[in-house]
Amino acid sequence: MSRKRIPKAKQNQSPKRERKPISWRYSLLTLVCGLFLVAGLFGAARQHFSSIEFGIKNSRLRKQITELEAGQRRLILAKEIALAPDEIKKIAKNFGLKETTAINIENFPANPQLQNKPLAEKSSETKPRQTIESEIAAVKKELNKSAKEEKVEEKSSKIITKKDTLQKIPVKEQTFTRERLIADKQF
Amino acid sequence: MAEQIKKNKNPMQTIFTRFMLVVAFFILWIGAISVRLVHLQVNQSEWLREQALDQRRDKLKSKMLRGSILDRTERALAMSVHVKSLYADPAEITDVEKTAQQVAEVLKTKPEQILNDLREAQEKGKRFVWLARKLDEDAAQEINKALEDTKLKKFDLPKFVGLHWKEEQKRSYPYKKLAAQVVGFSNSDDVGQAGIEQSQEELLNGAVIQAWQDRDRLGRVYDQSEIKREPPKDIVLTINSSIQYKVEHALEKGVKAAHAKSGVAIVLDPKTGEVLAMANYPTFDPNDFSEFPTENFKNKAIQSSFAPGSIFKLVTYGTALQEKLIKPDEWFSCGNGVIEVGKHEFKDNHCGRAISFTKALAISSNLGAIKVGLKIGENKFSNYIRRFGFGEMSGIELPAETRGLVRPMEKWKDDSLASMSIGYEIGVTALQIASAFATIANDGVRVRPHIIKEIRQADGKVISTTESEKIQVVSAEAALKLRGMLREVVLKGTGKEAALDGYSSAGKTGTAWKYDPKIKRVSGSKYVSSFIGFAPADDPSIVIAVVLDEPQGALRNGGQVSAPIFREIAEQTLPELNIVPDETIHPDNLTAQEIPIETEIAPISTQKKDAPEKAEKTATSKKIKETKKENKPPSEEKKSIKQKAVMLNNENKDKLSRERIKQKT
Repeated sequence: MSRKRIPKAKQNQSPKRERKPISWRYSLLTLVCGLFLVAGLFGAARQHFSSIEFGIKNSRLRKQITELEAGQRRLILAKEIALAPDEIKKIAKNFGLKETTAINIENFPANPQLQNKPLAEKSSETKPRQTIESEIAAVKKELNKSAKEEKVEEKSSKIITKKDTLQKIPVKEQTFTRERLIADKQF
Repeated sequence: MAEQIKKNKNPMQTIFTRFMLVVAFFILWIGAISVRLVHLQVNQSEWLREQALDQRRDKLKSKMLRGSILDRTERALAMSVHVKSLYADPAEITDVEKTAQQVAEVLKTKPEQILNDLREAQEKGKRFVWLARKLDEDAAQEINKALEDTKLKKFDLPKFVGLHWKEEQKRSYPYKKLAAQVVGFSNSDDVGQAGIEQSQEELLNGAVIQAWQDRDRLGRVYDQSEIKREPPKDIVLTINSSIQYKVEHALEKGVKAAHAKSGVAIVLDPKTGEVLAMANYPTFDPNDFSEFPTENFKNKAIQSSFAPGSIFKLVTYGTALQEKLIKPDEWFSCGNGVIEVGKHEFKDNHCGRAISFTKALAISSNLGAIKVGLKIGENKFSNYIRRFGFGEMSGIELPAETRGLVRPMEKWKDDSLASMSIGYEIGVTALQIASAFATIANDGVRVRPHIIKEIRQADGKVISTTESEKIQVVSAEAALKLRGMLREVVLKGTGKEAALDGYSSAGKTGTAWKYDPKIKRVSGSKYVSSFIGFAPADDPSIVIAVVLDEPQGALRNGGQVSAPIFREIAEQTLPELNIVPDETIHPDNLTAQEIPIETEIAPISTQKKDAPEKAEKTATSKKIKETKKENKPPSEEKKSIKQKAVMLNNENKDKLSRERIKQKT
């Protein structure tokens, strides 16, 4: 039996193991998982901060609601104060109004034509003195004219029959005047 | 040798040893951390949690707004609003003097006071000092602006170190003196002290609510939670604020005119028992109740009893009619005008020789009432007094109501029946006697008077409504007869001043001597003058009671001082309740003295003082003419000058012709 001599240097040489290369699938999966974890972490963080943000907005809105409700209540109170009889009386006095009772108002029949009119109206317009004087002069002139006409009529009336007189007299205007006078008296 | 050593020192062994050392270190490190964590989580968790919460969480305590008190037309007689109070946390303040100076400038107070308060609180370790209380929103905003420190990083207002706002509430009474004794008032701690505020404290009082606010590092609130509590209730009264105002106005006028010490007026709906108005004079403003004497807080309509005098004859005659002991038209002899009962002589100068019972009631004959009382007898009379509701509380939802004074029959003297027949030896409240009249007005059925219409939740949902119990005291027939007799009081008797324009009325006057505790008997110089009646007489819609205490003027009788107040109240209240007039209106007798005059037509200052009536008439006629003028068709106004002249001419002609006719005739 012959012995084969082996050189020292090669003695006890560690055996070389063949290592399997890391599978790309494994790497990818790890990467995906890692990314998922990181994304989740970021997602959770984002959610957390956004919830805080919403919370802040929510609390602001809540505060706003409370303030608006308080404001509404204050307005209701202000309205009630303004509607208090004493306040109304004070304001009415400032406007120069005087006290009256409901029963008095009921005695005057409500005029439908006046219902939509304002409570106070300017009763007359200020006109220049000249205009008024000219108007008065015009009225006087007309009166004189009608007086002359009347004299002529009186003369002619002797000849005209009773029937004709009735036709000539401005009946409508006369009746209107009488009616008005009567109405004034009756009222 | 050295080689030997080298050979012995295996490098793998060294690496392993070192590795193990590192591992041991890490294990120890982690172990230590774990131990610490366990210690923190197990032993110190509570304390740490509290610390953490304290850093980020605020605990707020606030009271819910007190419930409102409304009248029957939904007008708020009492309501609460949010207000703000400023306080300081001395622990947060470093420069106390500067703070006191700045705050005092804004609040317009003395800085010394604030400085003292802050220093004292710092010394005692207090963390709360009031600076200003119950400020409205505008004032709070002004303070915020004035105290704003732009450099300070603070989320809440005011942006000033150590100052904070606290939400509070303030009770307001917008109608001020209106129905003050009925509504009452609450103190600074929002606890009811009088009236409905006191009696309905449980319903009105708002519960304390706790809220937690989580804040971030900048102080912004990001989460809030609170314990929900049942909100307080709103109370709707039967009072009509408009009627109440008119009643108070009329009462005030009447009390002043009669120079009376005080006065009470009640308006009741006899069919439902609802109190439409309950007025007292003198009164107070619940907004500033501390400014008024405490005597004014008393609701004398239910808390004071008085000897009713002749108004109590209603019970006497009511009982006799019910028991069919008398007939209204039946006559009785007055004798010599004196009747002796027991050891007491009762005199009557009005009676004459003989009169009917109707007439006796109309002229308020004491003799007649005593005779009727003696006919009734003690047992029956005592029984009917109780049935009419005297001697017991009416049950109205107001605090401190008195029962009045009705002595048990065992304690009656020989002349007690006679005295009680004419309204003495008995104490009644204004509400009790008003309720008795309401019984007659409501066909003998007594409806328990009440002042709360309904109780509501904050959202407007009605929780409960008041339903009054009804008791038939006398028959409808007896009540009708008595109403007829009471009508005669107004038409022909002592209550002529209570005759209304447009409505029929009935009632009874009363003038009773007051008991003087000093002399221990009734005093001839002090009176209680009253008038209680209803309208319209045939189908009464309202019962009005007017009681004046100690009128001092020349006129003292109930028919002279109280009946005119009744009249004014009734004439203003009945149209407001849409009651159709059952009698004609006489324009000359209208209660209104003034008609609004348009200043442009007739300025008030130019009117003659000695002829106000004439001025009114002219103003009225002018107003009518103005109205007529406005009513004319527009074409008429636009008529030419010629046409106007013709019209004037025609008018002249008319005048001439009339004069001729006159001359002929």
